[in-house]
Amino acid sequence: MIDFHTIFEQYKEIISIAVYGTAVFLIIIGLYAVLLKKHLVKIVIGLSIMDAGIHLLFVAVGYISGGTAPIFSPGNENAANTMVDPVPQALVLTAIVIGFAVTALALSLVIRLYKHHHTANIDQLKSLKW
Amino acid sequence: MEMLSSLLLIFLIGAITTYFVDSINRKFTGIIAFLFVLLGSLFFYSNIHIGDVFVFQLGGIEMQWGINDYSYYFSYIVLGLGVLALLYSIKYIEGKARQGYFYASFLLTILGMIGVIISQDFVSLFIFWEIMTWASFLLVIYNAYYKVKTKGIKYMIFSAIGAYAMLTAIVFIKEHYNTLLIGEAIERGAFNFQQYRYIPIFLLLGFGIKAAVMPFHVWAPAAYSKSPMSFTTIFSGAMSKMGIFGIGLVLSTFYLQHNPENFYWVKLALGWLGGITAVMGTLYALIQVDAKKLLAYSSIAQLGYIVVGLSTGTKLGVMAALYLAVLHAIFKGALFMVAGAVERQVGTTDMTKVSGLIRRMPWTFFVALVSIIALAGIPPLGGFVGKWLLYEALITESNNYFLVIVIFFSSTAAFLYSYRFLFGLFLGQEEKETEHVKEAPISMLIPMLILGIGSIIIGSFPGLIFEPAAKAMQAIGFKDVTWQMSLLSNIWGNTTHLFLISMLIFSVFIIAFLFLTLKGLKKTRYVGTKEISTSGELPKEWENFTFQHNFFKPFERAASPLYHLNMNRIWKDLGKNTEAFFGFFRKLYTGNGQTYALYVIIFLVLLLLFKDVIFS
Amino acid sequence: MVITPVHYIVVPLLAAFAIPLLTKIYKDAARLIPGIVLFYNIIVSFNLLKYVNEHGIISETIAGWQAPWGINLVITPFTGFLASMVSVLGFIIWLYGYRFKRTLKGGLVKYYEILQMMMIAGSIGVIITGDLFNMFVFIEIVGISAYSLTAFYRGRDGAEASFKYLLIGSFASTFLLLGILIIYTQTGTLNMAQIAERMHEVPQHMKIIALIFFLISLGIEAEMFPLNGWAPDAYSQAPSPTSATFAAVVSIAGVYALIRVLFTLFDVPVNNYLMIMGFVTMLVAEIAAISQKDLKRMLAYSSIGQVGLVLIAFGIGSKLAVFGALFLMLNHAVIKSLLFMTGSYFIYNTDNKKLKSLNGIHKRLPLVSFFFSLGALAIVGFPPFAGFWSKFYILIAAGDARHVYLIVGVLGVTIIELTYYLRIVGRIYFAKEEEEPASHKPSINAIIAMSALALFILVIGVYPDLIMQPLNQAADALLNKTHYINQILSLN
Repeated sequence: MIDFHTIFEQYKEIISIAVYGTAVFLIIIGLYAVLLKKHLVKIVIGLSIMDAGIHLLFVAVGYISGGTAPIFSPGNENAANTMVDPVPQALVLTAIVIGFAVTALALSLVIRLYKHHHTANIDQLKSLKW
Repeated sequence: MEMLSSLLLIFLIGAITTYFVDSINRKFTGIIAFLFVLLGSLFFYSNIHIGDVFVFQLGGIEMQWGINDYSYYFSYIVLGLGVLALLYSIKYIEGKARQGYFYASFLLTILGMIGVIISQDFVSLFIFWEIMTWASFLLVIYNAYYKVKTKGIKYMIFSAIGAYAMLTAIVFIKEHYNTLLIGEAIERGAFNFQQYRYIPIFLLLGFGIKAAVMPFHVWAPAAYSKSPMSFTTIFSGAMSKMGIFGIGLVLSTFYLQHNPENFYWVKLALGWLGGITAVMGTLYALIQVDAKKLLAYSSIAQLGYIVVGLSTGTKLGVMAALYLAVLHAIFKGALFMVAGAVERQVGTTDMTKVSGLIRRMPWTFFVALVSIIALAGIPPLGGFVGKWLLYEALITESNNYFLVIVIFFSSTAAFLYSYRFLFGLFLGQEEKETEHVKEAPISMLIPMLILGIGSIIIGSFPGLIFEPAAKAMQAIGFKDVTWQMSLLSNIWGNTTHLFLISMLIFSVFIIAFLFLTLKGLKKTRYVGTKEISTSGELPKEWENFTFQHNFFKPFERAASPLYHLNMNRIWKDLGKNTEAFFGFFRKLYTGNGQTYALYVIIFLVLLLLFKDVIFS
Repeated sequence: MVITPVHYIVVPLLAAFAIPLLTKIYKDAARLIPGIVLFYNIIVSFNLLKYVNEHGIISETIAGWQAPWGINLVITPFTGFLASMVSVLGFIIWLYGYRFKRTLKGGLVKYYEILQMMMIAGSIGVIITGDLFNMFVFIEIVGISAYSLTAFYRGRDGAEASFKYLLIGSFASTFLLLGILIIYTQTGTLNMAQIAERMHEVPQHMKIIALIFFLISLGIEAEMFPLNGWAPDAYSQAPSPTSATFAAVVSIAGVYALIRVLFTLFDVPVNNYLMIMGFVTMLVAEIAAISQKDLKRMLAYSSIGQVGLVLIAFGIGSKLAVFGALFLMLNHAVIKSLLFMTGSYFIYNTDNKKLKSLNGIHKRLPLVSFFFSLGALAIVGFPPFAGFWSKFYILIAAGDARHVYLIVGVLGVTIIELTYYLRIVGRIYFAKEEEEPASHKPSINAIIAMSALALFILVIGVYPDLIMQPLNQAADALLNKTHYINQILSLN
């Protein structure tokens, strides 16, 4: 049985750098897709990746090394001292739901645009300008 | 006093009533509008006395309305001309569409002007100024001429530049002198060129644009000539005087507070602006083919004289300006009414198409004759007195002889267009097309005749105007203004008895009239313009043989360098280039969602890069 | 106290769920219920505003959880005023759109009404919440409703505008989350009063980075210049009542969020930033507006311009300037709604949105043309209409702060604005008429809605003292930061 707890303790710094790094990397990938990819679906995917990066960042910030899940249960009333910060997790849950809704809406818009336009290239969606 | 607010209420109710009466029964719209203005004027002269003040709070700002001699003087122009113009309108506008709109805007314009002259604080001055402006804008665009859209906008843009210059000045008066009352601001030296120079300059700009001073006059010819003539009467006659009202107020207090010699450049600049306005207005009036446009340019020129008079800052000069202000309202009102009558009866005021109307419209001709004489400044009528005063003021008190020459040139050249107007429309050969033309209806003739006779009386007894003008000048701070009823004197000790002169000239007139009438009883043969002998060639249909065609061509050729100075074109180019420039900028909105996203990121990066500069 | 701020959130949410069910019973429920809800909002707002102006700030903690876990709703004279304003306008817009698309098949009206109501309720939520993350949630509610409404028409352009809006809106939410994250890690709370209290402990560089994220994200919502590419498209493609809501409700909420964050949360001087960006926003928007050929797009740019002026006024930052800014927000909301409402009837009657087709339309729609002209004169700031006073107070405030160039610049831009508005007025009344298509006269409810707005413009224009009192209190409440912090912390 591997003791995750000790491993975390040992590589705490590296792991946290890795987590933060992943989050930033995801955000940058997302930005890249949104700003430079021409296909609408790819842009939507980019938005989702960006969101995921932000969510990861949130969770990482709220993490206390060795913390427990932020749940009060009978017999564990002092959990507040050891548990990870619950607020970012709550926020991330909300943000994920919102992100889901936005993505769904975006995809439905893409479908409609494709139906009218027979292309999903964002450069050709310029009938409203100036 | 509640009287002042009830006065404004009369005009407001009048505007609303006429607007709605029109949709019920359009026959009575004009009469009701006229009755309201008449009621307002009677109310004004019976219930409102000099010295009335009405103070109240609105929007946290202390407002003050009141009447002093200076504003009372201008009320004659506004209300007198207003009543006549509305009486004239009844028939003039008859049968046209949207009369309710017309009269409502008309009454609102008069309301705005009354408001301007009774305002004793800057906020209500600005409010009424703007009411006057947009109400008149609605009238300028009333005639659905093909280009009226752009012309109206031009008027509005220039008015807005003026109004906003004024607003800027007001904001700074509030900041520097901590008051919004005009009286207090004057006491604290707000119109002073020494401390905060831009305040009076902005105010003068604001008032000057309304008074059509060069180079901001370009709105005037189009606006004056394209609006309905019955409105132009008051537009040119009274509303431009609101500009004069303001300029007079600013300049006279400034001159009285300081020794004008220390600010010679102000005097010089304004004098020359007025002088150039007068000359250019006259020159452009000369070459106009449309009588309405001719009158419009002539108005600009006349306003130039008034500005010159004010710029001297001396008693005599200001007196001349105030006198000319009323006189210009009278004769230019009458002339625009004449043009309107011709337009209504004949259908056009193009002088190459209309001529020889004297037999068809004798009364109109009479008014035109009298007014033109007044305009040209020939002795028995008012113009002479005004110009006399102006010259005397310039020669004896300003030492600016070159300006005198300019003014003199301009008023001499004014003879040319006066002649053209009179001769073009009324004298000369009778056209076949105008044979059916009848005299204007009586309700249009009455105001015209009142104005015509008015200018005769004022010419003989200028004291009638001098008396209130002197009071008005005392109200803005001049002391010991003297005047005489029918006598002009100068510093060299000579006097001129105006009444005698006018009697003399009138007797000559009557004799000449009797003589000519007796002679005219003989049978005469009328020659139409087309019945012309050419040496063997038959004239083509399209050839224009009216003598008005290329009337002042030689003069035009001689003065051609002056005509190249076309402010209108310069402004037009400026406008066009600005819009093209704007068109370039709006391409920032490319329509591509990714570009917009890129803007966001670039902006973010910029903020992050320059965060120390921006948020320190 | 019977009425609490929670009603703002609970009632619309309940109604939104109830509408699909009730429609099965009574067909018109979808159209009636939002009206009832919005009217109830007005009652709530006025009661709360009255209470707040007499007794001081209300802070309602939801479900008894303390900050930072719980959420509190705060009514100050400032938020109460904005909430009342938004409620009233929301109701008027509902009234206007009551018969909107009643012929639409497939029960689409239902969704339109629900989304519209949620957009208004969400905006009120943005205004009254005292919690930063909750503000994010409400902004997203508004955003999602707005994206859907923009794409409500099935044409191609609606979806396109909506997609752009969504793209930029997602950026806004991403950066807003980042900003919230930084603030949370630094202060350990999401309650705005607590954040404000602890802000001075935050290191300067963190503070500024967080601020920049907020400026970007809320700048997008408030339609600030380089971030507002979505706005003209969304305004012009949405159904007209929705465009009116964007101008009167959504942009107000966006500006509120920005101002709340900048004024209450941060203690970094942003006055120059606001003034400069506000001016640039105004300038570019008006420049773009003058050469538009499409009426609604022009109105959209004009809205952006007005928001720019509001930002300038907030940037000046004095009491009078904030007062003027709030006054302008009110005026903008009222007048721009009126313009969109009347513009909608023009478009409805001409079957295209081009300005050219407005030529001589007053013969067909005299009342609507009259209202449009009134709105055009008022928004430019001609006295004696409401728009004049707000502009005047802002200019006086700018004068007091001696921003000479700002005054000249603002007035210069106003001339541009005046040009294109009056061109349209001239066109409506005096240009040559086109042939007459069948006329759609405004329905009675639309006339009532438009008359109410027009009446407001006239009455406030002649007698501004009517709303000076609440505006003054609102401005005080916004500027008095310590009072806000202390009150809320003691109430919790």
